[in-house]
Amino acid sequence: MKVVILGAGISGHTAAAFLKKKLGSHHDVTVISPSQYYQWIPSNIWVGVGRMSVDQVRFKLPGVYKRWGINFKQAKALSIHPEGDNENNSGFVTIEYTSEGNTGKTEKVPFDYLVNATGPKLNFEATPGLGPGKNSLSVCSCDHASHTWEELKKAIELMQQGKKQRFLIGTGHPKATCQGAAFEYALNLAFEFKRRKLSHLAEITWISNEYEVGDFGMGGAFIKRGGYITSTKVFTESVLAENNISWIKRAGITKVDPGTAHYETLDGTSHSIEFDFAMLIPAFAGQGLKAFNKTGEDISPKLFAPTGFMIVDANYAPKPFEEWSIKDWPENYQNPSYPNIYATGIAFAPPHSISKPMKSPNGTEIFPSPPRTGMPSGVIGKIVALNIAEIIKNGGTRHRHLASMGRMGAACVVSAGYSMTKGLGATMTVSPIIPDWEKYPEWGRDINATVGEIGLAGHWIKLFLHYMFLHKAKGYPFWWLLPE
Amino acid sequence: MTDKKITKANRDEFYPPIPTTGTKFWRTNYIYQLFKFFRLNLKIMSIVVKGHS
Repeated sequence: MKVVILGAGISGHTAAAFLKKKLGSHHDVTVISPSQYYQWIPSNIWVGVGRMSVDQVRFKLPGVYKRWGINFKQAKALSIHPEGDNENNSGFVTIEYTSEGNTGKTEKVPFDYLVNATGPKLNFEATPGLGPGKNSLSVCSCDHASHTWEELKKAIELMQQGKKQRFLIGTGHPKATCQGAAFEYALNLAFEFKRRKLSHLAEITWISNEYEVGDFGMGGAFIKRGGYITSTKVFTESVLAENNISWIKRAGITKVDPGTAHYETLDGTSHSIEFDFAMLIPAFAGQGLKAFNKTGEDISPKLFAPTGFMIVDANYAPKPFEEWSIKDWPENYQNPSYPNIYATGIAFAPPHSISKPMKSPNGTEIFPSPPRTGMPSGVIGKIVALNIAEIIKNGGTRHRHLASMGRMGAACVVSAGYSMTKGLGATMTVSPIIPDWEKYPEWGRDINATVGEIGLAGHWIKLFLHYMFLHKAKGYPFWWLLPE
Repeated sequence: MTDKKITKANRDEFYPPIPTTGTKFWRTNYIYQLFKFFRLNLKIMSIVVKGHS
């Protein structure tokens, strides 16, 4: 059997590793990724403040895959043909090579099972003027983060000359997600300025599409803290206020000009804010893959939602917020039209957001899209791999391994400053990720499993996880024992 | 002092709880944080394990 995996990020790489481990040399596992590097994205924050180099957060994949016996093709996928075509009876993916010497060469890669783990397209185009090379910066990839550090160095130099600098950090689109990464970056900036005794010259503003700060795209959470059950709104506002970071919430950035960001707030009013340095997270979209049937007819709507993310075993029927349930969320990530195709990590289409949808009087939707990065991505990649391996080896169609975000917990360690002795990290855990109001009518989640703590231990944990996950991704001894 | 009050009062940043010196001390106390390191790792592990069916 031939299993093809599109993407070598957290989810795709995890899926590839477990597929090969379970299937051994009797079956082919092929990974297709446009980059030859694996990057540990959560540590890009530290690249963006100059505390880690690009090479500390990434490594080359071909050597690891050679050792594991996985075929690697450095290429981008163009289209999926689940039924084959006139010449091929089995499904295949059309790819275009991006590796040096092969650039532009195309190939049809046949598959019996396909795992779509392409991750998101960083949709900077959705906001005019947003993104590197235009008027703002990003930490979404290690190259972006490295460029952001170069720009930050210039800002620090100006501050050292006594010039005040305005920093705008947050979400760059009314429906962007990944607030956590931007939040980490804002806190790391504050920490770095404090370290250099430049805080008085930095004016940091947090701008976000969240209804309340601390929503983080998952509708916020409640934690036990200081003898009270309190919301992440209070927790997050406290962290921002402590670091002298002011905030603008319910804001959807609609355009970024040089030195000025324009945004609309939920009350329908338009505003502008000036900045010297802006790091804004773009909206995410699917990679724009097309799908065709045997006769060459475009069947993309059968495989992909309008957002470009892949349709899986979720309940996509539109319904009001009050009727949302954890049962809407997928469990095995199998495409309903083509059972040999799966989507993992950010590549699967969520049935709806987690945060309550909000619209301004002008009709602009301003609320976070659901996050599915990090831990959920790894767990989903693993269970999809285990299910495919079991079906190949034992036959049948049963998915023994399930991973609904409505049952799965998640841990998020937010860096708030890099230092082994004075660093800080906010450790946050929630269980489940999607609030289950039937099981937990009071708080939506298991209050005993939900944690929010700030301290040096958080920094140590984040650093420990950095090395642990790179150890796992490189396939070093006992990698399979390490959790996702 | 007066300027600071005028600038800050009634703004969003004025209302959240701010950590005391004691809270800040415990945040970077090595022994207490070492205990937290193991406790939080255990918490994370228990959530991760429950997440796999």
